[in-house]
Amino acid sequence: MTTSILTSTLQTIKTNWQTMSVRQRLLKEYRTLEHNNLDGINPILTENLHLLYADIKIFDNELYQDTYRVKIMIPEQYPYVSPVVIFMKSTEDNINTIPIHPHIYSNGHICLDLLGPAWTPIQTINSLLISLQSILASNSRNERPSDDEKYVAKAPKNPSKTRFVYHDETI
Amino acid sequence: MLVDILEWNGVATWSWDVPSEEVCGICRVSFDATCSNCKIPGDQCPLVVGECTHRFHMHCIVKWLEIETSKNLCPMCRRSFKAVHGEKQLGGSQVLSYIESFNFEG
Repeated sequence: MTTSILTSTLQTIKTNWQTMSVRQRLLKEYRTLEHNNLDGINPILTENLHLLYADIKIFDNELYQDTYRVKIMIPEQYPYVSPVVIFMKSTEDNINTIPIHPHIYSNGHICLDLLGPAWTPIQTINSLLISLQSILASNSRNERPSDDEKYVAKAPKNPSKTRFVYHDETI
Repeated sequence: MLVDILEWNGVATWSWDVPSEEVCGICRVSFDATCSNCKIPGDQCPLVVGECTHRFHMHCIVKWLEIETSKNLCPMCRRSFKAVHGEKQLGGSQVLSYIESFNFEG
């Protein structure tokens, strides 16, 4: 009896600490994001620590003339698990397109190994945004993934549930 | 000048043998502080150095290696993470017992 109370108390403390560590790291990251002023990347923080947006602009690539927005959801297990990132539209803010790219589905899901098996906890929201900007900047193929229609028809809401096959590392 | 020493206290400080500005790549907290789950630096929250020379708070790297997607790789260089043993391991207990041995009272 006493042991089980103790165990459950310890469990609560442990859980609190875990949440605390996500919080601590996120607050640090947000501070850096706000001060860093990355060229073409504009982070939009929300009251929810686990949700933010970022507007991304691409320079010197004719394919990407618009401003694109990503929604970034931070899981409780962050930074051990990657954030969930999708491109989205916002008529309100005049963001009307999901960028066309061989690894970006028309529903905004992104097939990027960094968002799955290649994620490691030394990555940051900052580094992720830079990677996203650079995969767009370096792309020259004006096309969607070949299985776009099929994928979008059946895609789960949360792309982290998808087991993407990372077929082409060169793009 | 003649002085009688009636009492003295020895004070020792310690820090990990790493550049003071270096932070743990996982929790982003200084090595001389604790990982973000601990309260007291030192013995209870030691550092671990990998054969690849990358170092982390023990608790941070253990948590990562326990996750399946880590595939036992170092978060920095993605080489298989093997902790270095022996002198280089920065054993926290040695440091603490060293401090205790200087614990003069009265």
